[in-house]
Amino acid sequence: MFRGEPDEMSGSEILLTLLGSEIRGDLLVLFHKNPGLIDTVDAIARRIGRTTVTVISELRELLELGVLRQKRIGASEVVFLDRAKDRELLESVANHLKTIRIGGEK
Amino acid sequence: MRTRESSPTNPHGNFGSASRSMDLDQRFAAEKAFSSVLVSTVREAVGNALGHNVLEILASKGLLDDASNSKEFDRKLQSLFGNGAAVLERIVVKDLNRKLGIPYNSEARLDYEKSLEIAREVCFVESRMK
Repeated sequence: MFRGEPDEMSGSEILLTLLGSEIRGDLLVLFHKNPGLIDTVDAIARRIGRTTVTVISELRELLELGVLRQKRIGASEVVFLDRAKDRELLESVANHLKTIRIGGEK
Repeated sequence: MRTRESSPTNPHGNFGSASRSMDLDQRFAAEKAFSSVLVSTVREAVGNALGHNVLEILASKGLLDDASNSKEFDRKLQSLFGNGAAVLERIVVKDLNRKLGIPYNSEARLDYEKSLEIAREVCFVESRMK
């Protein structure tokens, strides 16, 4: 269902993808608060109080980015946080933010 | 004693009905309590969404220096995150409302400034009841 992760992205592109929607924000918070979480799309949607239909396209974006990964356990497809990739992506975001001046300050 | 002067944490002096009936000491304590809840919520929200490193960079850039001034916070957030600022503000408001027992509707359009005014008012009412 999901494509593989994209080629090298800049920190600003990563940030745009991570904060592309409220649902993506909720998913990030969920997985960062529960880094060992492994669950189905349906269950993840319930955890953030959304329907599967509304969550699936947002999950796809995070899977394509590589911060989340998917694997099969028995009959179920489950989603989990790729901690190493997450660290790497957030490091890029941090490096990008270091270069930005708040509100045009010098 | 009723006063309406501005304070360092609320330069507009817009405290709502609950705060208008408080004396200066009560109001100062309530504003301080609200500011503390808000800053800790912003720290948690940004930290949970984007990690500790990003949070520390934002703190070093002064994002949290005047977090209870919603206009200034919104301006800083916009300059750093562009459209992503709205997502972070929603995460902040959702957490803040949960802490203060205020219902949150994810379907409604978010007015960050108004949401903070409501949260401040609830915080002040709670302070008066203590």
